Amino acid sequence: MPVYLDNAATSFPKPKAVVEAVRHVLEGVGASPGRGSHKHAAEAMAIIADCRQKAAAIIGVSDPERVVFTKNATEGINVVLKGWLRPGDRVLYSAMEHNSVVRPLWRLASQGVNIEMIPCSPSGVLDLGTLSRELRAETRLVVLVHVSNVNGALMPLEEVAQLCSRAQTPLFVDAAQSAGLQPIEAEQLGIGMLACSGHKALLGPAGIGILYVRPDLDVPPLIEGGTGSRSEELEQPEFCPDRYESGTPNLPGVAGLREGIAYIMETGMNRIRNHEIGLAHHIESELRRIPGVRVFEPETRGSGTVSFVVEKMNPADTGSILDQAFDIAVRTGLHCAPLAHRTLGTFPEGTVRVSPGFASDIENIEYFINGLRWIVARRG
Amino acid sequence: MNSAEESENLVTENLASARVRIYDRAGKKVEQPQWIVREKPVTLYLNGKEVVTLLCAGHHLDELAAGFLYAEGFLRSPEDILGMETDNEEGTVKVSARADDTITERLWQKRTISSGCAKGSLFYYSLDALLSKPVKSDVRIAPGQILDRLEDLNRLSEAYRRTHGVHNTALADADRIILFRDDIGRHNAVDMIVGHVFLHGIPLADKMLITTGRLTSELLIKAAKVNLPILISRNTATSLAIELAVSLGVTLIGFARAGKFTVYSGQERIDAGIPG
Repeated sequence: MPVYLDNAATSFPKPKAVVEAVRHVLEGVGASPGRGSHKHAAEAMAIIADCRQKAAAIIGVSDPERVVFTKNATEGINVVLKGWLRPGDRVLYSAMEHNSVVRPLWRLASQGVNIEMIPCSPSGVLDLGTLSRELRAETRLVVLVHVSNVNGALMPLEEVAQLCSRAQTPLFVDAAQSAGLQPIEAEQLGIGMLACSGHKALLGPAGIGILYVRPDLDVPPLIEGGTGSRSEELEQPEFCPDRYESGTPNLPGVAGLREGIAYIMETGMNRIRNHEIGLAHHIESELRRIPGVRVFEPETRGSGTVSFVVEKMNPADTGSILDQAFDIAVRTGLHCAPLAHRTLGTFPEGTVRVSPGFASDIENIEYFINGLRWIVARRG
Repeated sequence: MNSAEESENLVTENLASARVRIYDRAGKKVEQPQWIVREKPVTLYLNGKEVVTLLCAGHHLDELAAGFLYAEGFLRSPEDILGMETDNEEGTVKVSARADDTITERLWQKRTISSGCAKGSLFYYSLDALLSKPVKSDVRIAPGQILDRLEDLNRLSEAYRRTHGVHNTALADADRIILFRDDIGRHNAVDMIVGHVFLHGIPLADKMLITTGRLTSELLIKAAKVNLPILISRNTATSLAIELAVSLGVTLIGFARAGKFTVYSGQERIDAGIPG
């Protein structure tokens, strides 16, 4: 039986309403929102407005206009880092960050931005003491992944937000793995910026993401262009969301995301989180019982993502065999997060990552564990 | 029949004779008989299903089949074999076995898939990745012993001397050659040796394999599957073989001839007796 355990990359299968919404846009709406006054364009606008409202609600933002659509978390991260940081600025980031953060930072470092890494424990938890010491007045930004995409470690977001507020340094949260799973109160915590993708725990299609920028933070956009607003002016509008939303938006993506978030709200985020984390705990306890398997457990779990290795076996080989022999989809390697793997001690080969979703069940997990037991037994 | 006669019979059984014409540059022709090596297709069946057809010299088919099926992961222990019928005339070996061949079959000759997101695997077949493990052995061999066993191998090679058409392979310990096999394919000769040690439960941690063939990745992977610590050839090694040897802890020795040899990896097993 085919088993999909790669929800940390892309959640699958999507709720039926998501698929139907994308289909409806392509078959029944077909217009560019804000680029016409006909009924089709009006429906498109309504879809976008409703999705924006839902997106704002799910990350704890009261003004939906502050929530803009991007193509994914990576785009939102690039907007913030490249817009906010200037040569000579100092930025702190954790040792569990994804390449979507690390690579833009590396580029900025070559242009004179001072980038400093805050270490994490071997299980992936941020060292708050070091962060507190390093947070000085001249620090322009702190970047933090909310939940690790490698082992599901939950970062102490509230504590970090408090430290940043005290230091008056904006906190930029990468919520790619947490949005839709973890309750986020961006305004209440005083978070400066937040980026996430729509195709993971928010259950939308690929190609849509969310970016929130606090009103007092002047982050210039990465691209300018047509917005369907103030077209007589040659300068990019300064107001949100138009400031960041140039070009025809991804309406099928927004429509799908709207239904994904609606599904989470109807089902209950706690229920989804408890289900996925419950499966992860079951996976970890089963993996611990298999000799020759090492599990990289977080101190506090924020998602259902589990990382492990079979000793003396390249994770890519383990993943290949799970796929070819058992039709089980997992992800192997560095998961685009080499820093996190250095922190966990799994660089350069990485790990096998298993990430159940809300559609996964205990039977799927048993099947996966039995497949892995077969592999370990055949290695002798 | 004495052992010399037995040996002669074995050699001649596996060889054929052909009437050939030998020309020189001036066109002068001499007609004479010449020994040639036999080549025949042999098809392996496992539990009624065709697995593979091997082109081989046609002898030691039981060892060839057992070695092949073991190295490819279809068999795990000699007790798995419930029966084996070899038919030299038909060119078939039919093995019935207690084997979890369904899952192994799914993996058979499947390439490993690398995402490019990390340091990838050295293995190109999934079954090889599954069954190859780093070799564990504390054996030490002196250079003289390596060269002596190579000379022993050359002495044993009657079919090669007559035909120049086979690869020779021997399993040896420091003091003597334990088993000798030859075949038209270097893999077949190695599979026969693997099959023999598999069927007879011979431990390999203190042994070396000497071959006349090139040292390629397939040979390294086979060594790692059976915990064979030292591979020696009078020929060269390939790049992937050397990478695998380093990764799997195999001592890899090439160009073993004329009183010298080249060590590509695992030199700690060479007991030179000279400090440094």
